[in-house]
Amino acid sequence: MTRSSSRVLVALLFLAVIVGGCREQSAAPAAAAKSNDSENALVISRHDDRVFAGGLMPPAERVVNTEAHNAKAAEEGATLFTSMNCDGCHGGGAVGAVGPSLTDGRWRYGGADADIYRSIAEGRPKGMPSFGGALQPAMIWRLVAYIKSLPAPKDAPTESW
Amino acid sequence: MPMSTRRSALVLALSLAVPLGASRALAQGASDGEWTMPSKDYSASRFSGLAQITPATVKSLHPVWTFSTGTLGGHEGQPLVVNNTMYVVTPYPNVLYAFDLTKDGYPLKWKYRPPVDPNALGIACCDAVNRGAVYANGKIVYNLLDGHTVAIDAVTGKELWNTKIADLAQGETTPMAPFVVKNRVLVGASGGEFGILGWVKGLDLATGKIAWTATNIGPDSLVLAKSGTFKAFYDKGAQLGQTTWPADTWKHGGAPVWGWMSYDPELDLVYYGVGNPGPYNADQRMGDNKWTASVLARHPGDGSLVWAYQFTPHDSWDFDAAAEMVLVDLTVKGKMRKALVHFDKNGFAYTMDRATGEVILAEPYVHVNWASKIDLATGRPVLNDAKATGASKGNVKDICPTLEGGKSPASPVAYSPVTKLFYASTNSMCMDYAAVQTAHLAGTPFMGINSPYHAGSDPNMGAFIAWDASTGKRAWEIKEKFPVWSGSLATRGNVVFYGTLDGWFKAANATTGAVLWRFKVGSGVVGDPITFTGADGKQYVAIYAGIGGDWLLLSGDYKSDDPADIRDPADFARDLARHTSQGGIVWIFAL
Repeated sequence: MTRSSSRVLVALLFLAVIVGGCREQSAAPAAAAKSNDSENALVISRHDDRVFAGGLMPPAERVVNTEAHNAKAAEEGATLFTSMNCDGCHGGGAVGAVGPSLTDGRWRYGGADADIYRSIAEGRPKGMPSFGGALQPAMIWRLVAYIKSLPAPKDAPTESW
Repeated sequence: MPMSTRRSALVLALSLAVPLGASRALAQGASDGEWTMPSKDYSASRFSGLAQITPATVKSLHPVWTFSTGTLGGHEGQPLVVNNTMYVVTPYPNVLYAFDLTKDGYPLKWKYRPPVDPNALGIACCDAVNRGAVYANGKIVYNLLDGHTVAIDAVTGKELWNTKIADLAQGETTPMAPFVVKNRVLVGASGGEFGILGWVKGLDLATGKIAWTATNIGPDSLVLAKSGTFKAFYDKGAQLGQTTWPADTWKHGGAPVWGWMSYDPELDLVYYGVGNPGPYNADQRMGDNKWTASVLARHPGDGSLVWAYQFTPHDSWDFDAAAEMVLVDLTVKGKMRKALVHFDKNGFAYTMDRATGEVILAEPYVHVNWASKIDLATGRPVLNDAKATGASKGNVKDICPTLEGGKSPASPVAYSPVTKLFYASTNSMCMDYAAVQTAHLAGTPFMGINSPYHAGSDPNMGAFIAWDASTGKRAWEIKEKFPVWSGSLATRGNVVFYGTLDGWFKAANATTGAVLWRFKVGSGVVGDPITFTGADGKQYVAIYAGIGGDWLLLSGDYKSDDPADIRDPADFARDLARHTSQGGIVWIFAL
C-alpha cells in the first residue's frame, strides 16, 4: 500500500494507537485543554506540538496504520529500533544521544502517530535520515508503536545530586 | 639546565624557520607574539616563549575582555592571534569572528557567517564542535561541520574558496582544524561511529582544489603506500590496510581523523593519528584492522605514506589514536633521539623515533588493565584476554581506561623545553563494554555498543599531570574531581595553564605543579589556552569556556542544539551540572 493511497478515518488512527501498544495517557490538564477532541489522538506532551492559526486544527493526518491490529507491533518495533541503528543516535531505550530523546514527552516535529511516522519516513533537517526508502510502511508503523510504548516521562529533575 | 634549555629552544625555532623561511605561516609559527596555528607550531608543542607571566607575577592575572559566542556546543579548540587580530570560530554554525586587538574593547572587524547544513548536527558523533582555524598566507582556513573547508581573507573577511571535502550522507563530518604545510591544506573527517572509510586530503592553499586523497584503511593504492617509499618498522608485507580486515569490511571500517597534526620539515613528514575501527563490535572485523588506532607519517606534497604504526591492533575499546603527535628531540636511554611523543586513549604514553616509527618506550600514564605493557620488540601490546570485547563476549566489566581515553584526543598536551616535561589532562575512569551485532546502513550509526563508565580506582576522576617522556614517568600531578578535558599551554615564564570541567581556569608552576592562580570562567573548559603579545607589548592569555564535546558531558543539562531536550546526568559525574552549564565565552587575561 502506498502512502498516497493510505487514507483512513481519524478514529481509526486513534484505535491504532491503543492497539499498537501506545501508553495510556492520564490526561494532563494542559494537554487536555489543548487536545479536547480525543479523536485527534495527539500524544500528551510537555510542549504543545504546534500552534493552529485561528485556532483551527487542520484535517488530521490520514495515513493508514497497517499495524493497527498487530498486538506485537511494539515488540517488533523494538527489534527494528536496534537493527536499523535507531539506537545508535537516539540511545538504547530511546533516551537520547546524538539524536533527541524520544521518551521525554518533548517533540520537535510533533508527537502524534502520523508526525512520528513522517519523521521516520521522510527524515528531519537536523540529521534524522529518511528511512522511507529503506523500510516498508508497516515496519515504520511498528517503530511508531514501539516509540509510543516507551515509559511515560518522569518529571525532569530540578535537583539531580 | 638553563643553557641547554635555551639551546634546544633555539634549535626548535631554527628548524621551524629555515625550510620555509619565505612562508609567512612558518615565520609566524615561530613567533611567540602570535598564535597562527592550532598547536602553536609545527612540532605541536603548545609552548610559547613569552615570559612576563611567571610564578611570581601570575597572582595578578585578571580578565580584561570577554565575548559570548552565542552558541551552546562544546568550545573545543583555540582562537588565533595574527597581526593584532584575534580570530574565533564558533561551534556549529561555525561563525568566524575577527577582533581588532589594537583598539579599546577589541571591537569586531568583521564576521563571516557560512551556510552550514544542519543535518551535520545529527551526524557529528560528539556535539557540534569545531577545533579551530589555521592562518597561512593571508588566509584563515577552517572546516565547517558539514564537510566543507573554507579560506577567508584574513583582512577583509571575504570568502576566497569553499571546497566540499566530505559527504554527510556517508556519515562524514569535519570538526578538526586544518593543518597547513607549504601550499598544502591537510584535512580529515570524523565518522568512526558511522562506518566511514577514513581519509586525509591535501588541498591547494591558493585555490582549495583537492590535490590528493589518501585513505587510512584499504588497499595500498588508496592508502598511497607505494613500494620503495612505505616501510613500517614492525609490520612486513603489502596491502596491510586490506589484508588485516575480513573481506570488504575495511570499506566501512571507520579510521577517522579529527585530532591535531604535526610536521617535521627536515624529514618532510606530516604526522597524524587515526581513530577507531568500526563497528565497535570487534567480532565483525577480526584481524588487526590497520591502520585504525595508528599514527601515519606522510609526505604532504603528494600524500604518500612513509611509515605507520598501530598503537592498538584490533581495537575493541574505541581507543582512537586521534591525539596529537608532539615532535621533540629528547635524550632517551643516554641517546639523543628525534622523538615523537603521543598520549594515546589506550592509556599508554609513547616515545617513538619519528623517522622510522620505532617505539623507544611506552609506559602507562593512567591506570591501564586491558594490556600489561607494550612489547618493544614487536611494538604490540601484551593483552589481558579478560578485557577483550566483542558481541560473543557479552558485557565485559571494569576496563580501564574508558573509551573517553586516559586522555581525550580533543585535549592536546603541551611540551616545555625549559622543564623538558609534557603537560597533559587525564581521565581516571573505567568502563563496562557490551558489544552487539550491528549492520551498516549508510548515513546511520555503525556501532553496536553499550558502554557505561564509572570512576576508576582513584576517587578523583581526572588529573593534570607533568610527564617525562625520556623516562616514561610522572613528574607531578594535580588531582581534579572531574575528568580533565582542556588542552594545555606551557610558557617560558615557567607557568602552565589548563581548565576544568567545573569551570576553573588554572595556572600552575611548571616545575613543581603548585597551583598558583585560578579563575571561574562561567562554564566547563574543553578548549585550549593560548598566549600572545598585545599591541601594548603585554603578555595575554586566552581560553574558551563552554562545556560540551561529548553528550556525556552534558551531565544533567540539555542537548546543545535544543535547550528543551533535557538529558539525564552522565553516570560518571551525576553532580557535574551543579558546577557548570553550557554556553560559549572567550576570555582574555592579563597581568
